[in-house]
Amino acid sequence: MEIRPILSALMRSKVSMILIGLQVALTLAIVCNALFIIGQRLDLMNRPSGMNEADTFLFGSSGFGQGYDARAVMKSDLALLRQIPGIVDAAPANSVPMSGGGWSSGISLQPRQKTSTADSTFYMVDDHGLNTFGVKLIAGRNFTPAEIEDHDQGARVQPPVIIVTKALADKLFPNGDALGKQVYLDEDEPRSTIIGIVEKTQEPWTDSADIEHATFIPYFLPYGNYTRYLVRTEPGRRDEIMKTVEQKMAEANPSRIIGKLRSMEQVRHEAYANDRAMAIILGAVILALLAVTALGIVGMASFWVAQRTRQIGTRRALGATRFDILRYFQTENFIITTMGLVVGGILSYALSLWLMQQYQSPRLPWYYVPIGFLCLWALGQVAVLGPALRASRVPPAVATRNV
Amino acid sequence: MLKMTHLQKVYRTHLIETYALRDFSINVREGEFVAVTGPSGSGKTTFLNIAGLLEEFTGGEYLLDGDDVAGLGDDARSRLRNEKIGFIFQSFNLIPDLNLFDNVDVPLRYRGFGAADRKKRIEESLSRVGLASRMKHYPAELSGGQQQRVAIARALAGSPRLLLADEPTGNLDSLMARGVMELLEEINRQGTTIVMVTHDPELAARAHRNVHVIDGQVTDFDDEPKLRRPVRDGDAANAAIA
Repeated sequence: MEIRPILSALMRSKVSMILIGLQVALTLAIVCNALFIIGQRLDLMNRPSGMNEADTFLFGSSGFGQGYDARAVMKSDLALLRQIPGIVDAAPANSVPMSGGGWSSGISLQPRQKTSTADSTFYMVDDHGLNTFGVKLIAGRNFTPAEIEDHDQGARVQPPVIIVTKALADKLFPNGDALGKQVYLDEDEPRSTIIGIVEKTQEPWTDSADIEHATFIPYFLPYGNYTRYLVRTEPGRRDEIMKTVEQKMAEANPSRIIGKLRSMEQVRHEAYANDRAMAIILGAVILALLAVTALGIVGMASFWVAQRTRQIGTRRALGATRFDILRYFQTENFIITTMGLVVGGILSYALSLWLMQQYQSPRLPWYYVPIGFLCLWALGQVAVLGPALRASRVPPAVATRNV
Repeated sequence: MLKMTHLQKVYRTHLIETYALRDFSINVREGEFVAVTGPSGSGKTTFLNIAGLLEEFTGGEYLLDGDDVAGLGDDARSRLRNEKIGFIFQSFNLIPDLNLFDNVDVPLRYRGFGAADRKKRIEESLSRVGLASRMKHYPAELSGGQQQRVAIARALAGSPRLLLADEPTGNLDSLMARGVMELLEEINRQGTTIVMVTHDPELAARAHRNVHVIDGQVTDFDDEPKLRRPVRDGDAANAAIA
């Protein structure tokens, strides 16, 4: 390998080398951190909600006019929904995961506890709730129809029984014995007994620190004249059933408006719109940076090949094969890229530290930089290949041309 | 050492054919110092390029050190060039970003010599041209004559059998030209065959024999070579064109 003479020749034309090296360094630092951020966003976006999202949709019903009995309409709507062929189950739901709006409160183990033991979202459902959500009960039992209470908006939330997620159960009772234990959803008695534990259900807020802290409460609760329904269909029939439901609901009661039906997949899509946009923008920035770096290398290498045509011819005349010339330019690029990558590696970790301090971002995993090294080495080699092949085709007779 | 028989080099376009060399024959014996002269465009450089395996020919036969070079692949030509031929160019063709040591090292690296062997050869060849003390200097720090001496050192470092010189003093003043010419004569006396292309009659007169080229053909030659020492392999009379 001709590393030493190539390096010493490069040291005599430092400006070009430094410019390309810096470009590689910045590219590595930005690409590593941007890829890490994209990875984090993708991880966020791919977290399972605990629900059967593929077959589930929701819609709202807003009654109007005097004498509208929301509670009676809820009961008749649910009876109608549960009769429609293709619907597995339906339930009222004050909120659903990823919807961005809901009800949350602290849960304590002692009365008037200063700081609650855990925070949790509350999903007000009936005995069809768990089945409609599609969550998996891993301990205890579901609510019975007798346990479903008519609840009024604004009244204190003190249900005799509740079902919690495993994450919340473990937070409240780290020994793993939450089932059958009693907790305070309000400051005072009465307490609520945990009768069931579900595997996973997310809170409605995707940025929540305790996203898997959820509590199912057996309340039958209209919000004034508004009710939200959750419907789960047989696999593959969701879209067809959505149309049927919209039509039947409108026909069943003309004194209300059926809100836009949204599948849980749409809810997820909308919930992560910002994360997706950021991932796309960062992805575009990465591609642009890589393209600019590759073009920079192509441009610089092409310029050097044109500038050194006679020198290449001389080398050929002195015995260099075409492969020797190709290897010369590939080696030269490898040296410049490596110098840039060393600086870029330091910059990558420095940028990660800055992001940690400014935005509480997690630390960049160490392996991003070595993988970035390999990718940018490969990019450099591919980018320089065209000019290097052109150089290898310079005929040795160029050496004797007197320009 | 170098024998061309009825050599032909034609440049073809879709409109015309241009003969750079036509029925060109020459036989250079080992140890000779031959000057190839002729006006501009006569085919001297084409001859030199073909002799140095820098270009391919389109007809005839070329034996280099007894080997037929027709049909050799590019890599084989590169290897042969590297092992048997040393080049001296009119414009020196030193690599400006490499110091003298690394410039002389260029053909040796392609030859695949080990580091110690290369170092020894570089030091010896730079000593031979009187520039051993300036190994770490760059070409721009030298005079034209010194640069040409470095080019000669580079050509000699691989111990070639044949030295091809293309107007070696063309870019030098008369004092420097004389020094370079004396160096070439010294190298020839030590056994290296030299073929020098020049349009300078004074330089040509210092060669063993002159070959005059016009319109790609040999038109005149000395049949009484002015040998300074006996050629190694035979009668000097046979060293004229075949």
